[in-house]
Amino acid sequence: MTTQTLPYTTPQAVPYQRYVPKLAVALGAALLLAWTVFPFLWILLTSLKSSADIISVPPKFVFTPTFDNYAALVMGEQRGQYSSTRPDFPLFFLNSMIISLGAVALSVLAGIPAAYALARFTFPFKDALGFVLMSFRFVPFIAFVIPLYLLYQRFGLYNTHTGLILAYQLITLPFTIWMLRSFFQEVPIEIQEAAKIDGCSWLGVLMRVILPLSLPGIAVTVILGFMFSWNAFNYPLMLAGRQTFPVTVGAIQFISYEQVLWGQMAAATIVAAVPQLLLSLMVQKYIVRGLTMGAVK
Amino acid sequence: MTLQPRRHWRREEYLPYLLLAPALILLAGMVYPFALGLYYSFTSYWLQYPNRFRFVWFDNYLGLLEEPLFARALGFTLGFTLVAVVLQVGLGLAVALFLHARIPGRAVLRALMLLPLMMPPVITALMWKIMMASTNAGILNYILSFFGVDPVNWFGSMEGAIVSVLIIDTWGNLPFVSLILLGALQALPAEPYEAARVDGAGTVAMLRYVTLPLLSPFIVLAVMFRTMDSLRIFDVIYATTLGGPNDATTNLQIMAYQYSFQWYQMGKGMAQAIVLLLIVVMVSWLLMRLWNRAAESTS
Amino acid sequence: MGSRCRWLVGPLLAAFFMMGAMLGAWAQDDEQLAYYRQAKINWRQAEGQTLTIGLNKHPFTESLLPLIPEFRKLTGINIEYLILPEAEYFTKLVADLSQQRGEFSVIMTGPVRNWQFVEPGWILPLDDFLNNPKLTDLGWYRFDDFYPALLAANRWNGKIGGGVGEGPIYSIPVLEESYILAYRKDIFDQYNIKVPTTLEEMAEAARQVKKNAGIAGIVARGTPSVASMGTGFMSGLKAYTGGQWREFDDKMNANFHDPRSVKFTEAWIAMIRESGPPNWANMQWYDAMEAFTAGQAGMIADADFFAANYEDPKKSKVAGKVGYALILSGETGKPYAGLWTWALGINKATKNKEAAWLFVEWATAQRTLLNATLGYRNYNPSRASITNDPRVQEIMAGWGGGSYLKTVARNLETARVAWTPQPERTRMGDIWARSLHEIYFQRMSAADALKKASADTDKVLKEAGLK
Repeated sequence: MTTQTLPYTTPQAVPYQRYVPKLAVALGAALLLAWTVFPFLWILLTSLKSSADIISVPPKFVFTPTFDNYAALVMGEQRGQYSSTRPDFPLFFLNSMIISLGAVALSVLAGIPAAYALARFTFPFKDALGFVLMSFRFVPFIAFVIPLYLLYQRFGLYNTHTGLILAYQLITLPFTIWMLRSFFQEVPIEIQEAAKIDGCSWLGVLMRVILPLSLPGIAVTVILGFMFSWNAFNYPLMLAGRQTFPVTVGAIQFISYEQVLWGQMAAATIVAAVPQLLLSLMVQKYIVRGLTMGAVK
Repeated sequence: MTLQPRRHWRREEYLPYLLLAPALILLAGMVYPFALGLYYSFTSYWLQYPNRFRFVWFDNYLGLLEEPLFARALGFTLGFTLVAVVLQVGLGLAVALFLHARIPGRAVLRALMLLPLMMPPVITALMWKIMMASTNAGILNYILSFFGVDPVNWFGSMEGAIVSVLIIDTWGNLPFVSLILLGALQALPAEPYEAARVDGAGTVAMLRYVTLPLLSPFIVLAVMFRTMDSLRIFDVIYATTLGGPNDATTNLQIMAYQYSFQWYQMGKGMAQAIVLLLIVVMVSWLLMRLWNRAAESTS
Repeated sequence: MGSRCRWLVGPLLAAFFMMGAMLGAWAQDDEQLAYYRQAKINWRQAEGQTLTIGLNKHPFTESLLPLIPEFRKLTGINIEYLILPEAEYFTKLVADLSQQRGEFSVIMTGPVRNWQFVEPGWILPLDDFLNNPKLTDLGWYRFDDFYPALLAANRWNGKIGGGVGEGPIYSIPVLEESYILAYRKDIFDQYNIKVPTTLEEMAEAARQVKKNAGIAGIVARGTPSVASMGTGFMSGLKAYTGGQWREFDDKMNANFHDPRSVKFTEAWIAMIRESGPPNWANMQWYDAMEAFTAGQAGMIADADFFAANYEDPKKSKVAGKVGYALILSGETGKPYAGLWTWALGINKATKNKEAAWLFVEWATAQRTLLNATLGYRNYNPSRASITNDPRVQEIMAGWGGGSYLKTVARNLETARVAWTPQPERTRMGDIWARSLHEIYFQRMSAADALKKASADTDKVLKEAGLK
């Protein structure tokens, strides 16, 4: 078996100087940056504005920042304004963490064997089963959500973390299986054969060869799954009560009957983004370490 | 290879099903609610009039053919999906290639690309709606005014609303496509490129004959995910236009929502949701065949 | 005292102070509860039960939250609550009501919403609770303190097409909302614009504002939903026709295509197209309100209590510059503004009926509502005594230089629930709003669009078995 260390970037990443004018690249990068970051930046700015600044025309870039909106999330009564005097936001945040982590964990646990089966075995009904698994993601939530609500009420799953984690499988499980399947299939078959010859059972092949080599793929899947769970809105709206609302439902509570508390909504959005930010920073290293398939050949 | 005794062989036979079992069990619980929804679609279930509940066979479905809004919603669903997927996958590919090249600051850019995914679509759409106010009160028009552009009526006109929804949806989902394709790009094997370089291929040729074919399973994967989601796009429209103005941004899921949750005609709403489901299933079945072919051709 | 005992002094004093503090706290608690204890009923008769309250996000509900421990101390009833913005709240509420599983015991509702809930029997009439001396001390509760018009709005005898104000009362009002015209007094004064009392004058005033001040002459809700129809638009239409036009004729056929309605709609849309904001078609209530508050509009005909926002110097650009007037009172001599109340009702499926009523009684007691208005900006009060309270008067008297209170009082003389009672009001309103869009985007003429709206409404009613 020949080993070959590759540079960090695979050969097709050619230095740009030779082929594309520097300016165009800089412009491209700037545009991409602006496009991606600007709305987030604007939400951040909004969260630091007082209500007067928020609705001022023309929109203000320069203003005196205030942390009132953030304080309101945790403490309730805002100076001169009101908000939920019993701040539920920390509770919603905790709910989001529990539900999203639980949903992704469950999906990965069930998804890895399923993806392995679909990627590396041939068996009757393989295509059909694969499609059925995927098809659960297709169903428009409307067709589901009222019957699911009725069912949950009857079986006591309504307004429980467990119930929501199970319902979230509709969002995360098919996605996890299909993503993992793609990444598992990228593991060269020769390595798998080699491991089998060395005496590994299917479990050994999975644990020793496929999982380690697909780690970046798993990382991407986990983080995307987490984000999809975290940002789900329609299922928790119907299936959760106040004790289990995640931050997405919590954030719309800033639409009151006689005003909309944009500043607090923006603050809630920023705070809700923090776990995802942290998670993606942690996982970045994994992807970036550049575990390429070719390194094993 | 050693000869397997008969017992061992049978276990191997059942193994894939065992592996699939946990996932199938988890999702099996969802079959009953779905079946219930399907059942309702064949009834005249109307929440406030429980005593008018009757089994009406295909009336709800056939009634859709006469409903003018249905044709519009169907057209918008399909048209929007086509444009959105082409736009998002195309741009996503470009961005992935861009981020894969050795440009300075790419690590930072890659990290920042994840930002839109961290915002719940409902809230983001609300914030975008504020940014897209139709006069110069909105930050977007304000910035555009510096480039000499007249204030754009983002949400007040029918065309503007469609474009606005497209923009917000693209903003939220471009990172998803880019990330998948970037991950795939980073995992591509080296030999085809070396072989191509030996053959004297330039960048564009390498792109066309090496990168794209190698990427094709992932491109189709991205197309598949985006298609299925675009056909059912809901959160963005719900938070901004709720199908308006003048039903310009009403797709089948919004229509089903209105019938079910605003007007409480569950029977009709479920029928519309099932029709949408059938469309999604058909489209993704086609795409899956495509994906299988693409995956096989590259291995 | 010997030196041996001196060390006792500290702890003794501390204990003394602690007892004093506890006594004081207890007394204060007791003082807050004393008002309720005046009622000659046994507050603790439902002790130990748990209620779940469905609330929409609203200043009134905000005011209740910190008082919930008080309620528990008073009655021994545990409270769980759920708060959502209006749209999501009703989605969840109807899901629960329709299944009659009793998730919510007490709900926030109101006149037009009740019409949907009464026919299938989802909510309870409250008269029995009111007239039960074991549950309600009418003398203390001062039922007559509520504005009669608001109580009448929450009564319905179940007859499709009429009967509001008769029959059982289904919910107790906690606020009053009617519709008046708010205008930029400073701009009107500066350019000598007449405060409009007819539709033509309104269009002219809007034109003038746009020409001279460069901002939208008028803003209004424009989303294609029932919510956009019932406030300024319908109040204007009713005033235009002297209160004579209804959405239905005597045979319950939809009447949107009535020539008066067509004329009014044509003129209104023309005004919006000419002097209104470019994104009218997507304006929710808060878009319109915030546009006016930010100084981007000359007029707005909508909820009266929005004035609390207009006049808030901390965030309004137009505080102190607003005048208030009746909507189109000059057309036929009188305004005919619509009316809405948020109100508390009881889910029929609740297992704790008495506890639910005790909560409603407590939450709509004079003291609770006064606290909601004074401390939490719950406007406009549903009890006359609150409006007349000097502290409330102090806040509201300054609005519009006094024109607010005068206008609201005058308005309430003729304000009525504008809609005709029937369970499909939401659907009908959505159909009607869509027809306005057809007219606005010039896809159909007013006459055609409204005729279609009538036809569509008739179809829905027939399908629902209401005709």
